[in-house]
Amino acid sequence: MLRNKSNEALVALLLVAPFVAIYGLIFIYPTIKLFIVSFQDAPIIGNGPFVGFENYTRLWGDRRFNTAFWNTAYFVALTVIPGTLVAFAIALGINRLKGRLQALVLALFFLPYILPVSVVYLIWDWTLNFQFGIAMHLFDLLGLERVSIFKNTTWFMPAVAFVTIWWTCGFSILLFLAGLRAIPAEIYEAAALDNSSVWTTFRKLTWPLMWPITALVLMIQLILQLKIFDQVYLFSIGGRPNDNLVLVYYVFQRAFQYDQGGRAGAAAVVLFLIVIIVSVLNFQLTRLSKGRG
Amino acid sequence: MRKILGIAMGAMIAAGAVSNAAHAEETVIWWDFLSGGDGVRMKQLISDFNEQHAGEITIDATTLEWGTPFYSKVRTSAAIGEAPDMMTYHASRIPLAVSQGILSEITPDDWQAMGLSQDDYAPATWDAVTIDDKQYAVPFDTHPIVLYYNKDVLAANDLLTEDGKPKGLDSREGFEATLKGLKDAGVDYPLASTTADGTFMFRTIYSFMAQQDGELMTGDEFLAGDNAEKLQNSLEVLAGWTNDGLQTTYTDYPAAVALFTSGKSPLLINGVWEVPTMIDLKDQGKLFEWGAVEIPVIFDHPATYADSHTFAIPANAGKEMTPEKHAAVLEVISWMAKNSLFWATAGHIPAYGPVTQSDEFKQMEPNAAYASVTDNLVFDPKSTLAGVAGPIYDVMSTYFVPTLNGEMEPAEAVEEIKYELNDLQ
Repeated sequence: MLRNKSNEALVALLLVAPFVAIYGLIFIYPTIKLFIVSFQDAPIIGNGPFVGFENYTRLWGDRRFNTAFWNTAYFVALTVIPGTLVAFAIALGINRLKGRLQALVLALFFLPYILPVSVVYLIWDWTLNFQFGIAMHLFDLLGLERVSIFKNTTWFMPAVAFVTIWWTCGFSILLFLAGLRAIPAEIYEAAALDNSSVWTTFRKLTWPLMWPITALVLMIQLILQLKIFDQVYLFSIGGRPNDNLVLVYYVFQRAFQYDQGGRAGAAAVVLFLIVIIVSVLNFQLTRLSKGRG
Repeated sequence: MRKILGIAMGAMIAAGAVSNAAHAEETVIWWDFLSGGDGVRMKQLISDFNEQHAGEITIDATTLEWGTPFYSKVRTSAAIGEAPDMMTYHASRIPLAVSQGILSEITPDDWQAMGLSQDDYAPATWDAVTIDDKQYAVPFDTHPIVLYYNKDVLAANDLLTEDGKPKGLDSREGFEATLKGLKDAGVDYPLASTTADGTFMFRTIYSFMAQQDGELMTGDEFLAGDNAEKLQNSLEVLAGWTNDGLQTTYTDYPAAVALFTSGKSPLLINGVWEVPTMIDLKDQGKLFEWGAVEIPVIFDHPATYADSHTFAIPANAGKEMTPEKHAAVLEVISWMAKNSLFWATAGHIPAYGPVTQSDEFKQMEPNAAYASVTDNLVFDPKSTLAGVAGPIYDVMSTYFVPTLNGEMEPAEAVEEIKYELNDLQ
């Protein structure tokens, strides 16, 4: 049978056109625009005179950018691997449960994930508020001195990292559970017949078989946490914003508070490149170690 | 079929009638950021206005989130011609807004049309809305901070003067004696300060600086000369109070108010906008006898930080306002100014002179007790970096919080603040 090749291509084009158009309008075009603005001394709205690489070179001397950069790195270190491990451990636990109980426990862990960030902020602010927080009464009971968690630079990032893991690990748990269920029962039966211990089974079977899922979760977490903003912004209100800056917060400050679209643009481009580089590196690394395992 | 046609015809005629009526009536789109006790009172004013102008002008009001979200939204909406017809604006934010070209000038003709003039406003307030001899907003009120006090507790410890005000408001020694007197009487935290919120403490610290004639900005330089020292003096006083256990540590805004209203802290420094909270609680029989006075003189002379809520008209890009609409907006602003006596029940001091000079205002409590503050007001420096939720706020807050809670030395904080503020430019 003869196929009309050009006709087929036309149909294909027609089908993807709406998506391509929208993608171009709300992603490609703004991205190009962002690169252009980053070379201008532009306000938040509209264009400005071209200044070459000045916006970029100024980033290195800007100690607020420095704070933002290292805080972001610190936050990634605090959340990505720990968050993945926590989710994996919880998934292993849930996987051992059966029936309705399993569904219930899973739902309980997943529940925080559906909350909007402002609600998460309020819950933890009520819990850890220095004067009236519930946790502070625990501190009093234990005879510990109260700590103002979110106004203290030592505690701020770890606390926000903890809240973030609590809030988002539900989704990773789901992914891990799906992975665990995909492992055929026969493999475990065979291992049991060979008298394999729980630890050996985990190390030699579960862990390697779960590696693709783990790599996926790590990847998602990494990209997500590099873009951390909402929690940090909310918990910083009135406190020590400039000590708590992260990269997106820095961009937000420059753009919306200082009206410096160009300098915000340059910082955003740097973040964009960091995300790309780190994800490519991460992807290659996980691929390599998978080949070895 | 004929029946349906008839209904359609009827509907069309009805629609025509409505649209004819709409031609005569102007709808003024209004944005504000007043969501507390003062927001309730503003809604009352708006509904009174609408009632009195039925068939002529209707205000269509929306209340938005205070601070950065509000100002970002105004900025972006004005740029694409989607801003409201009028809005509330902080005087401290006007320099930035003017540099961005998002406010329309209030021209001499406009002032005349509104029946308002410079003589109706206090010089500091008028100056706060003026850039290069042009006005960009109509001041509606001034809102300083004040000292709230619990009459019952102070009286029980013999710390009230004969006219019912706290003792020792005229000097640092005097005020500290009052704080210590309360401490000795077994009060855990004599003064509730918002020490966890540096942006809020800016108001107190800036007041103390102004009491020494200190300025944040001279020319284009921040904290030049001995101004840095004056900031340090202010910080040292407040940090000292924390160290001596005279004021609350790491207390955020709602907690500070709660400590006062629950009777745990007999003194509170806070904005006049909390007056409605006190009045409402008192009416419900849930509050002690209370009062509010001008903040104490810690240094050389009285001075209090204030900002001003104003009305501004956005310069909508590519969208000229019709003369009819413009006239309607001016009528709204003018009416609000002339009816601002009711706004004083929100604690604020109306900006319109004839209202504050009226006998009715002079008898209002607690406003009358702190009305003297009008002569001692200082506003933010005129800079595009200044204003509520602006860059200066962020820098200050970052160093005030550790300093006021004993984590950082005032001298170090001042050095960092000076470096960072000058680095902002």
